[in-house]
Amino acid sequence: MKEESDNNHKKSSRRNFLKKSLVAGAGVVATGGLVEAYLDTRAAETGDKVKVLTTDGKIVEVDKAHIKYPRVSREESREGIPGKKFVMVIDLARCKNARACVEKCQEGHYLPKSQEFMKVYLLQDNDYTAPYWFPKPCYHCDNPLCVSVCPVGATYKRSDGIVLIDTDRCIGCKFCITGCPYSTRVFAWRHYEEYDEDTQPYSPEASSPGVEGTVSKCDFCPDLIRVGKLPYCVSSCPMGVIYFGDLDEDVVTNGTETYQFSKLIRDRAGFRYLEVLGTRPSVYYLPPVERQFPVDRGFDGLDEEVKKRYESTPYAKKQRR
Amino acid sequence: MANEKELALLKEFAPQIEHTNLIQAVWMFFLAAVVGLGFYALYVQIAEGHEVTGMRDNVVWGIYIVNFIFFMGVSYAGALISGTLHLFRAEWRKPINRIAEYITIIALLIGPCYILLCIGRLDRLQYLVLYGRIQSPITWDVIAISTDLFGCFIFLYLAVLRDIAAIRDFQAIRIPKWKRKLYTWLALGYTGTTEQRERLHRATDVMAAMVIAIAVIVYSVLAWIFSVTLQPGWHSTIFGPYFVIAAVFSGCGVMIVVMWLFRKLYHLEKYITRKHFVNVGVLMLILAALFGYFTFSDYLTKWYGSERNDELLISLLFDEYYWLFILSNYVGVLLPMVVVGIKRLRTINNITISAVIVVLALWVNRYLIVVPTLESPYLPIQDSRPEWLFYSSTWVEWALTAAGIAFFALAFTIASKFIPIINVSEMADSSTLEDEEILT
Amino acid sequence: MKKFLFANLLWLISTLLLISPSLSAQEETEAEEVEPVDTYISFIATYTSNDTVVLTANLYIRNGRVRVDLENAPISFTVSEGTEQIEAGETFTDSTGIAQVMIATSSLLRNEEGMVTYMADFAGTDKYLSTSEMFVSKPAKLEVSFYEEDSVKYIRVKGYQFTSNGEAEPISDETILMFVPSLFRPMPIGDVWLEEDGSGSMEFPMTLIGDSLGDITVIARIDEHDSFGYVKGESNCEWAVPKHLLSQDKPTRELWTPVAPLWMMITLLILLAGVWGHYVYAVVELVKIKRSAKKENIQEKDWSNYS
Repeated sequence: MKEESDNNHKKSSRRNFLKKSLVAGAGVVATGGLVEAYLDTRAAETGDKVKVLTTDGKIVEVDKAHIKYPRVSREESREGIPGKKFVMVIDLARCKNARACVEKCQEGHYLPKSQEFMKVYLLQDNDYTAPYWFPKPCYHCDNPLCVSVCPVGATYKRSDGIVLIDTDRCIGCKFCITGCPYSTRVFAWRHYEEYDEDTQPYSPEASSPGVEGTVSKCDFCPDLIRVGKLPYCVSSCPMGVIYFGDLDEDVVTNGTETYQFSKLIRDRAGFRYLEVLGTRPSVYYLPPVERQFPVDRGFDGLDEEVKKRYESTPYAKKQRR
Repeated sequence: MANEKELALLKEFAPQIEHTNLIQAVWMFFLAAVVGLGFYALYVQIAEGHEVTGMRDNVVWGIYIVNFIFFMGVSYAGALISGTLHLFRAEWRKPINRIAEYITIIALLIGPCYILLCIGRLDRLQYLVLYGRIQSPITWDVIAISTDLFGCFIFLYLAVLRDIAAIRDFQAIRIPKWKRKLYTWLALGYTGTTEQRERLHRATDVMAAMVIAIAVIVYSVLAWIFSVTLQPGWHSTIFGPYFVIAAVFSGCGVMIVVMWLFRKLYHLEKYITRKHFVNVGVLMLILAALFGYFTFSDYLTKWYGSERNDELLISLLFDEYYWLFILSNYVGVLLPMVVVGIKRLRTINNITISAVIVVLALWVNRYLIVVPTLESPYLPIQDSRPEWLFYSSTWVEWALTAAGIAFFALAFTIASKFIPIINVSEMADSSTLEDEEILT
Repeated sequence: MKKFLFANLLWLISTLLLISPSLSAQEETEAEEVEPVDTYISFIATYTSNDTVVLTANLYIRNGRVRVDLENAPISFTVSEGTEQIEAGETFTDSTGIAQVMIATSSLLRNEEGMVTYMADFAGTDKYLSTSEMFVSKPAKLEVSFYEEDSVKYIRVKGYQFTSNGEAEPISDETILMFVPSLFRPMPIGDVWLEEDGSGSMEFPMTLIGDSLGDITVIARIDEHDSFGYVKGESNCEWAVPKHLLSQDKPTRELWTPVAPLWMMITLLILLAGVWGHYVYAVVELVKIKRSAKKENIQEKDWSNYS
């Protein structure tokens, strides 16, 4: 269905009968989180039972319809999706801090408001360069220091390039948090009620449900990738800022536009943040040139709490003066 | 059996071992109460989660880690001092090397507890062994600390063996039967034959050398936990030796403070004299110079090269943490140099006061290594929650810190009631008690 | 209607806030109170290159501005030319609310203009009202082929449309969108203009990455066309760059791999052996001290030797 929806090649002329017909854009279809909450939308039980492994090692049978996305076991989650190497491209020219990625990610991973896997920074390299909004997921580095320093192998890098955390293994020493130079990882300082909303068995692939006293972070949503869906942040972004794809295939997409990765990086001078650190991230940025929005638009419609975050940035200080 | 001199000395220390007076009892009760408060704080932390601490996602390690580094440092210092002095056969060490050995063991028992307080899931501690990864500096640390603990216990045991045998043979001492049995069992039937003496001596020499080597390795490993990361304030090649020097420096300070306390508590003026304070003081002076040198090199290169994040860190140190920085890296270095360096100022009390300040300064030094670095990451912290921006420790953390110090003092007091705080046998080896070389 | 929406919204919010963790219990009680809900279908027919037409229906309900897909609902499809009808089959919607059937174009009923009317019906249940949707289009076909000319590789696309009696005629003056498939979305590689004779071509982009042998599928598509609706044609060639799997380059003995680098293991072993060897020596000496003490006691040696 999704293949039919490449809006960038949409025709302008339509007949009336077509107007009603399906154009399944990524943003239109209801999200997983809602479907989960809205169990009553199932017209009937499927009757198909699937076996799932619960966190305490028991195997239970669940109706297929109850499962949001199939979750693989802890052992399987260490292997990675065969023959893939995932890569993300973030177009800084388009980001206007709409925060849809942050919120949808929190919803999808059952996170409390105080935990963000995706963070949006307001950066300005120096006084004379332009400020820009900087969405920052986990970089899923190819030389991941967080994985190197983990004493129990609770965080690991898979063959598909994804760095995951098994929070059932994590002892909560927080060494990985100090090891990551990008402040990507978050710690569960207590048990958050939001974790209880996730009624499915735990899987490192979903980073959910969260566990008190352990570390978690952006996981590139492998549970969604497995069923051919794009990560929450990618599909939710109204500006199409975030592209995602397979490096082997050399294709990235934001859901509506699809590009050859190497060409996109070449034509738009893509770069990786803090390349000098040698962590070899899997996330690339396109520089904030020919921007679609003035940077101030990023302050529109923000919660007071979120707005306050940027108050001490050099840019915001300058604006106030 | 134990010789005359040993028995004569033991007679003097017997009261400490035989009974506890009221002041000592109150003192111990007070310490136990502080430790109890620590346990209550621990209960709160476990029940309500780590949210009760001041640690948050940016500053994930707070004063627990500072205490960990501090106590481990004190421990290694004890090992290094007693090991080195033993190998160099420094005669004056004899009245104080028991103190150094006790410091080593007791601090080594407390230190690792603090890293456990930082761990979110204590119920999964066994994973460190079950799923241990060799590449992680924490695994290195687990291996190194357990190795160190074993080594230090063997070293301490070798050092106290002769004294235990002496107490066993001291018929006049009034101790319960079970205690005497324990002494007999622990003494391994040591009677001081030539063969036994030689064996003990060889084993002690080997362990003294080992303890020195281990102390250097273990404290370097601890430093590497910080310096292998990419954090601007930590990613420094100098950290291994810097931490070792800082450890011995702080250990000298603690040593002097403990010497002063026991001198007063047990009236040891006869054995622990000005000479000991001056000698350890001179050691402290040398280490102060080395520590100052390392600190200076570290911050000079950071400041001179001024990478953006180094610059941020240094401006934070000289802004938010100005007075703490001055205390730890100027006062803490210069004060012992002045006090010990100028002959007229070299009194027991002066040296002790400067030692207290050195200990305090070095604790602050570790704080300044851990906290400001975590407060100035590569990506600026953009948060509206003040506790996410700057670390500020809570009562839980302070209660557990106080509990650690109290336990240190308590364990020291208990240990001194079991085996004399002065190494009786070694003292007895010297030609006369008032041996000039030892006491003056 | 409003009442229902309000009730549902309340329920949704309460679920999200987790006032009650038990979803299923609430589901039963709520289900009894609410009235049946309006349902909607979006429906298209896609002609493929192997003479079939794929009917795709998406069943959903509206909750405010949000679309919620209905799962496991029976959808029946019919084909007609206006009056006469034939059944095209019935299937159930999947977890994304989509039901699909595929039928051969030869069996289609056409009106005099060659147009076919497709219908998708949802009969309704206790909870959901019935609905149906229509889609009208003219059967068409796109053929993709490959050729080489002066060592330059080309993709050729041919378009046909079918008249009311099933005869093929070329599609002319149309833009055809070209894609290659990829993991999430097909990637556009350009477009082809169909000339008078119904065919057109474009150069094959030599940077495309295929499978490990260089095989690649090229897709030609017409989307939302006035008369053809959706048409899709595809074909394979082996001109693409063979895929190199980066995942196979994954090293085995790095800092971050499960197994440590060899030098690290060796260094650690040497250090540990050195240190623990000395410990063992010291402990052995202690054991010997104890043994010698026993021996002395048995032999009752001269005590005067001891100092």
